[in-house]
Amino acid sequence: MTSSTRARSLGSRLAGANNEGMLAIIILVLVVVMSIVSPSFFTVHTLFSIVRSALVPTVLAIAVLLVIISGGIDVSFAAIAIFAAYTTVHLAQAGQFDPGIIGVLVFACLVGAALGAVNGAVIARFRLPTLIVTLATQGIFRGILLVYVGSRYIAELPASMASLSTANLIALEGSRSYLHLLVVPVAVLVLLTAWVLRRTMFGRGIYAIGGDTEAARRAGFPVVRFQIMLYVLVGAIAAVGGLIHVILNRNANPQDIMGTELDVIAAVVLGGASVFGGRGSVLGTVLGVVLVQLINNSLLLMGVPTAWQRAAVGLLLVVGVGIQAISARRASRRTFVIDTAEV
Amino acid sequence: MPTRSQGSSLGVLNSRVDNIVRTWIANLHVDRGIGRMVLLLVIAFGVFAALNPRVFLNPLNLQNIMVSAPEVGLLAIAMTLAMLTGGIDLSLVSIANLTAITISTMYAGLAASDPALAESLGGMIVVVGVAVGVGAGLINAVLISTVGIAPILATLATMQIFNGLAIVWTGGRTLYGAPEILGGVGQSTVAGIPVLFLIFVVVAIAIGVLIGRTPFGRKTQLQGSNPAAARYSGIRSASVLYGTYVTTGLLGGLAGVLFVTRNPTASADYGTSYVLLVIVIAVLGGTNPMGGFATVTGVVLATLVLQVVQSGFNAIRLSSYEYSIAQGVILIGVMVFDQVRFRRRGRYVPSTQTRNIASLSGVGNDTKKRFDEVKST
Repeated sequence: MTSSTRARSLGSRLAGANNEGMLAIIILVLVVVMSIVSPSFFTVHTLFSIVRSALVPTVLAIAVLLVIISGGIDVSFAAIAIFAAYTTVHLAQAGQFDPGIIGVLVFACLVGAALGAVNGAVIARFRLPTLIVTLATQGIFRGILLVYVGSRYIAELPASMASLSTANLIALEGSRSYLHLLVVPVAVLVLLTAWVLRRTMFGRGIYAIGGDTEAARRAGFPVVRFQIMLYVLVGAIAAVGGLIHVILNRNANPQDIMGTELDVIAAVVLGGASVFGGRGSVLGTVLGVVLVQLINNSLLLMGVPTAWQRAAVGLLLVVGVGIQAISARRASRRTFVIDTAEV
Repeated sequence: MPTRSQGSSLGVLNSRVDNIVRTWIANLHVDRGIGRMVLLLVIAFGVFAALNPRVFLNPLNLQNIMVSAPEVGLLAIAMTLAMLTGGIDLSLVSIANLTAITISTMYAGLAASDPALAESLGGMIVVVGVAVGVGAGLINAVLISTVGIAPILATLATMQIFNGLAIVWTGGRTLYGAPEILGGVGQSTVAGIPVLFLIFVVVAIAIGVLIGRTPFGRKTQLQGSNPAAARYSGIRSASVLYGTYVTTGLLGGLAGVLFVTRNPTASADYGTSYVLLVIVIAVLGGTNPMGGFATVTGVVLATLVLQVVQSGFNAIRLSSYEYSIAQGVILIGVMVFDQVRFRRRGRYVPSTQTRNIASLSGVGNDTKKRFDEVKST
């Protein structure tokens, strides 16, 4: 009895609050297996290229994480991301001026925040289901972008963005491995979000709203204000993600990013966030993104056609969420048994 | 005027009036939802007929609306069914595509070696295609009911999986070919009405009866409006969920058959814009996305409204992106409108008659509370 409880507590400590430990172990196993299967896998080059491919999904996943913790689900973030980034580039090009990277960032974030505010206002003010509202706004944002802003592919970025797209933090010329400079702002964003979620009233409020909205209201959290702030913040973060995507690709295509919503949501849910709200962590989310990128990369290396990637992510999602669902059901059954025993 | 000493007879009168008003309001609610859709349909039709009568009122255009409505309509009815239990089925379009691809591949494979055999097995091929849809629905049911994954996540994942399988299967290409009998059904009309539309109406009636008139329908409604109450009243949520998601899979499969009937091709990315459209139609048709309330008539009317809007947008030369803006605006508009009306009704006792009696008998709060309960169901 005691040994089993001890084993369980050790196991649960290893697993982490949101399965982070579990994810880390899966990632580790995958890396080891891949290194054995394919010797070209275990290199700095692979590491850097996975980090590079994970940059945009990480930023978007952080945005989605915030919404999911608050008990909602957002599918409009991809539309917001490309809307903000494309509009910024388009205006800079049309006006023939380069606002500098700070100017670009501020403008894109303002656009993203404005679109997020639309989501927040509708969701918080009228208490409507977030999935359906964001599905609707996704169609609206995408439509407005393509009809009124532009549907043309822009190959020429403003000089400040273009110069950033070739900037590296670490460049190992010998192995042709480059760690992109943008890893720095992404890391800052990740740490900042973790801090906000853990240490600020706003962050705890989001957990509280996701756990039980009514309880949060009675505990004195300004639910409507926090929800609107949340969606504004999420819009701004999505805009950063869109900007990074444009910079890394060195072009602005208004059809990009749209359609990757599900991959991002899958990564966040794999990272232990609960779609019912109130649970989720930044660390888990980052690990979830890394796992999805690692699997995509591994499938490619093993010669599996890219066509399988979509199905693989879906399968991963089923397994990840299924394990959570089953363990949650077991846990509730266990408490039920203890309850009746005590009565 | 009755006084409080006659409380018991007043109580009887009060509850009787209360009952009458309650049923009246319940009917009004349903009628209003459908009445609103009829109104919207007339308005949409009138606006586009006025803007471009030459193109929009062309018999060919009107027939085209009736031919294209069924495939979206079947998916919307399936979505309604899932929403009735408080769930959602994002995988419907992928299921329909998988069915269409199954039919197309089987037919093309058989026709390559023996065209006559392929034609004679046409019916069989369609049945196998629909069976694929049912199987996909069964997978959803297992994940949602047995494993216990939230419907939105389970169908999100299966949507990826079904779509991924379709991409792998077709290699991303468009397949051509479908049994002749399907083409025949697609072309034929009865008294000027396309057979496809008649099929849609028949399926809609069947699902309407299933929801409104059978024990299974009652159980789904209760399951959707209050899962805890459903459990305590002895409803096995597992069987309800299995029934629901297998039926949505079946309807998705039928929609897939309509895909190839209307146009003998199949591809993995056909109808991707339908996911949003179908949710819009279901909610517009009076389905409560939180579960518990839906009318198939409303959904059928909503399907027609959106098809009219779409063909009207074509007639006045607006792009599909403008149509997607319109969809989003309509969806949010209707939900906000419902929510505002719902709240306003919660604040006041709606009938003056009831209010008078309620205030006299001193049970106003009670009556008001009961009204709130009626409305929230």
